[in-house]
Amino acid sequence: MTSILPRRALAAIAMLACGAVAALPGTSMAQGTIRIGAPLPITGPLSPEAKKLQNGMNLWVETANKAGGIKVGAKKMKVEIVYVDYQSNTPRAVQATEKLITQDKVDFLFSPFGSGAAKAASSVSEKYEMPTIAATASSEQVYDQGYKYLFGVYTPNQTLTEPLADLVKKQAGGVQRVAILARNDLFPLAIAQEMEKSAKKRGMNVLYFEKYAIGTLDHASALSQIKAVAPHWIFATGYINDLILIKKQMSDLGIEAPVVTMVAGPAYKEFVSALGKSAENVTSAAWWHPAVRYTSKDVFGSTENFNKMFHAKYGTEPDYGEASSAVSGVVLQLAIEAAGTLDKKAVRDALAKMNTMTFFGPIKFGPTGQVVSLDPPVFQVQKGRQVVILPAGIKQGDLQLGVK
Amino acid sequence: MLSLQILANGLVLGGLYACIAAGFSLVWGVLNVINILHGSFIVLGGYLAYYAYAQFGIHPFVSILIAAPLFFALGYILQRSLINRMIAAPVLLTLSLTFGLDLMLSNGMLVAFTADFKKLTLDPPLGVLNLGGIALPVDRLFAMVLALALTGLLYLLLSRSRIGRAIVAVRMDREAAALMGVNVKRIYAVTFGLGALMAGASGPLLAMIFPISPLSGPVYLGKAFVICVLGGLGSVPGAMIGGLALGVVESFGALWFGPEHAITLSFTLLILMLLFRPTGLLGRTGYA
Repeated sequence: MTSILPRRALAAIAMLACGAVAALPGTSMAQGTIRIGAPLPITGPLSPEAKKLQNGMNLWVETANKAGGIKVGAKKMKVEIVYVDYQSNTPRAVQATEKLITQDKVDFLFSPFGSGAAKAASSVSEKYEMPTIAATASSEQVYDQGYKYLFGVYTPNQTLTEPLADLVKKQAGGVQRVAILARNDLFPLAIAQEMEKSAKKRGMNVLYFEKYAIGTLDHASALSQIKAVAPHWIFATGYINDLILIKKQMSDLGIEAPVVTMVAGPAYKEFVSALGKSAENVTSAAWWHPAVRYTSKDVFGSTENFNKMFHAKYGTEPDYGEASSAVSGVVLQLAIEAAGTLDKKAVRDALAKMNTMTFFGPIKFGPTGQVVSLDPPVFQVQKGRQVVILPAGIKQGDLQLGVK
Repeated sequence: MLSLQILANGLVLGGLYACIAAGFSLVWGVLNVINILHGSFIVLGGYLAYYAYAQFGIHPFVSILIAAPLFFALGYILQRSLINRMIAAPVLLTLSLTFGLDLMLSNGMLVAFTADFKKLTLDPPLGVLNLGGIALPVDRLFAMVLALALTGLLYLLLSRSRIGRAIVAVRMDREAAALMGVNVKRIYAVTFGLGALMAGASGPLLAMIFPISPLSGPVYLGKAFVICVLGGLGSVPGAMIGGLALGVVESFGALWFGPEHAITLSFTLLILMLLFRPTGLLGRTGYA
């Protein structure tokens, strides 16, 4: 493997070269523009996620600018996002964050993707007292560091597992045996642990709980062991490519169970189109779903209008990642407008005090900076569509049992 | 029972691994070129199969036959036009060259196909073979048989045909082969073409099993490295043995130490092999 080393070195040189070139024209900033830094995994394995975040953020920027910009006191200012690619490499996300603050001199920040990178980068943004919105970090470990400048729009992980466990307990009383397979990564592991708690709390037996390493190409061994314990409920966590592979291998090994839940993947259209029939009846939960309906005073006006605008721009329905990145912009805009200034401390205080309605749902941050006001939907793939089965107020169908 | 299932899982996985590594090992062994492009060739072959199936309903097994000559030509031209100019340079330079080409290819694929994961899902699926309680997914089984067949063909080519003997001769001693009238540059191009062919032909096989993304190349490449060290460089049977060994080790590793340690185990094995048997399981003797 020694030959990997020069490859890394080459990559580093290439990075430096690109950085030098990029720094030349990038510094001429327009007068009176609010600049927001966004370190994203634009290349590397997480690049599909970065694409989603960019979709949401760009839609917000476009919509806000079309309305004249963000109102800061008496004047309106245009807004611009400065993207930096951290190549799906968390240490590089931290460097990119520092570069955005110290060299690009951005006014505010969006966190990098996922709980792990958001947590790592938050120590930098906190040091510079930079108000930071995390679009895709849900694990409580991100917010329990006593930081004052970090705010996140995802509720804690157990808000996803608890309602689902309640529903399964109520509608499928026979579900007793649970198997959990988790990607060894901050969010996927944290939500698996919440699932274990939710199951045990309801008297179910967790017969199998194992982690798999990032970059695993084969799950046949783990799944064979799961098959051997004949679980009623299989709970697998990871990102979309992991979960496509796991579900495919479950079908390969002939594993069937009344309930199969996967987080996070089935919310994405690609999951369903990649798996076809074998995605049927897989349940999942997410922080948002295009079926929710809220009327808001933000630039989008309502969930329906957001969906419509998103569809007009990208030709598809938004998923929760795309919506949460758009709402990160909305939340920041509302805080700047409430503060009436770009002063970082004032905007931070406005975020902490926020209690408002957005197209994404009601937004109010708890003492740690994590949102506490949302009720995440549970849904199931039925006939190739994601159908909301919880909360009762917006449900489109009922839980179906049996996953092949 | 569980152990038998795990062994079966490991063997079919190993077949895929052998397929990934055979061409890489050949090019490294004969040309002394570490072909960083290898992983991206596999991915490109996967996309070929994906679009052939999605657009024209061409079965991935048929795509293999389409991919094979295309990739051979691609590899041949690449070697003749670019890599041959550098072939006498130190290994780091050819590595840089293929690394640069790989950057271009993977970013080109990123632009052409986007980063969204695609999956070739056969309709109807090939199903599962149940051998006395041991589940064997038919697509993997097919892939393994084809991988064995492809590697077997490559082996026959190298050991029986004139051109194959010439490749082996060049591998053993370039100067002597040239003195015997072997056109070394052409042999290099043919060898690189064969390596690309193996990569391009395994693409459709892997596309049926793994989600495809322009950025999965390095994952395959990493496996190819381990397998080459396990099996021995430049040896086709070595790639086969190395691939099967890695598949079985990873499967049992996941069973015994938990799935999170399966990869750790394979890299531990790699380090141990480098320390105690750097020539690989089959050593340097069996070139072809």
